[in-house]
Amino acid sequence: MKLEEKLYTLRYKRDENPHLQIKDREKCLDCTIKNGEPQPCILVCPANVYSWIDKRIVISYENCVECGACKIACPYENILWNFPRYGLGIALRYG
Amino acid sequence: MEFDVVVVGAGPSGSVAAMTASKAGLKVLLLERGPEPGSKNVSGAMIRPTSIQNYVDLSSAPVDRDVKRVDIGLFSSQGDLKVSFRPSSRLVTLSRLKFDKWLAQQAENSGATLITKTTVTGIEPSDGKKKVLTDRGIVEAKSVILSEGANALISMALKIRPEFSPKEAVQAVKEVYSSTKDDITRRFGLSGDEGVAFRFFIDYPLPSAGFLYTYKDSISIGVGAPINFLLEKKVRPSDLLEIFKDRTGLNEIVKGMSLREYSAKIIPEQGFPSWKACSEGIYLTGDTIGLINPLEFNGIGPAIASGFLAGKSVANSSSCYEYEKSLYQDKEISEVIRARPLVRELLKPEKMSTYINLFPRLMNSWISGNLTDSGVRQFLPKIAKDLILSFGVIG
Repeated sequence: MKLEEKLYTLRYKRDENPHLQIKDREKCLDCTIKNGEPQPCILVCPANVYSWIDKRIVISYENCVECGACKIACPYENILWNFPRYGLGIALRYG
Repeated sequence: MEFDVVVVGAGPSGSVAAMTASKAGLKVLLLERGPEPGSKNVSGAMIRPTSIQNYVDLSSAPVDRDVKRVDIGLFSSQGDLKVSFRPSSRLVTLSRLKFDKWLAQQAENSGATLITKTTVTGIEPSDGKKKVLTDRGIVEAKSVILSEGANALISMALKIRPEFSPKEAVQAVKEVYSSTKDDITRRFGLSGDEGVAFRFFIDYPLPSAGFLYTYKDSISIGVGAPINFLLEKKVRPSDLLEIFKDRTGLNEIVKGMSLREYSAKIIPEQGFPSWKACSEGIYLTGDTIGLINPLEFNGIGPAIASGFLAGKSVANSSSCYEYEKSLYQDKEISEVIRARPLVRELLKPEKMSTYINLFPRLMNSWISGNLTDSGVRQFLPKIAKDLILSFGVIG
């Protein structure tokens, strides 16, 4: 089964404020030169939140399963992480 | 509004902290960022009731199955080795959502106020008290207990603890499959409310540890590897799970069952006592300070123990020193602390690979009739250090 199909099993309510942000986009260019593709954040994310499009990291934060691995993997501490507000984001049924 | 203590996070640790503080007569607010307790929480979820019973009465807890068989599997380039054990102490599986809800209910029954759908965004000192900032406003409290999980944004923002390095954290991914109660009982050769648990290890494409747990009408399968292994081998965790299921035959086992949930979690491999567990009226518990025993796949036990001790510490106005001392003296938590040096050693890729291969290799040589050429002897120097470290862990 494809990852996209697995992600469909999740209940998700979108917070209109993105809970994930890149602090400095220049650092992503440096990172790509040093680490190649896929970059560490793209590699460790279990939910395809990050993609590299036109030399930019694009964040699909509404896919996020809120594990926190991207922040640990980023060698530049370049991901600003907040939790979704008001009970939004992922809501597991089994856990 | 002012409380004696605000507990951040209604997982097992936070709910037990809130329950313990309420029982001691404190005015307690328990805040949960998810829509209900457990809705943000991920784990395999098998517990040993006798060790948790010391902190919370489990007689009405919603347990799923009594684990009567644990299968250990080593799937290596040297062959596969599988052994089954009948656990000598009681182990039960539980559904985290049901269990976490039940625990939060125990906290409420003891007088704590639970508010869900509320994210804490910061903590500020104010006249010897704490201002707890949330997305819905500010509450004041004399102390705060942070039971915010492994991705502990508040504790990190306050600089009480650092972020994990990639080698200090395992990335685990998990799937839940549902079926009927009878089907699961039949599929695993069980009867009634009996359950099984698997602990499987693979050495390719990178050394990884996985599990299967049976619940009433569902099962979970998961696998994890240190983040630095994934980065070095350039393997995505979602791909690792597919490889794991394929390699261990679990794909065959789940045939005909339907996938109900996919989730992921960071499993801490380091933390207290390298990190502080407390700072000026703020007490940290559970995953927030890395209280997981990875050797025993046990996180819920130490989480509950530390929640209990934090609740007691707040109620007794204990100092940070006293709280940390009580963590050291607790059985569940001292096991985690004593395992730290061994865990650090086992988390080296070559070491993990050695152990996954060692026994299959020995067995393979034995059945092939060339035990003297097994090559196992070359591993012995590598293992010697771990044996010494294990004296602190294995009684």
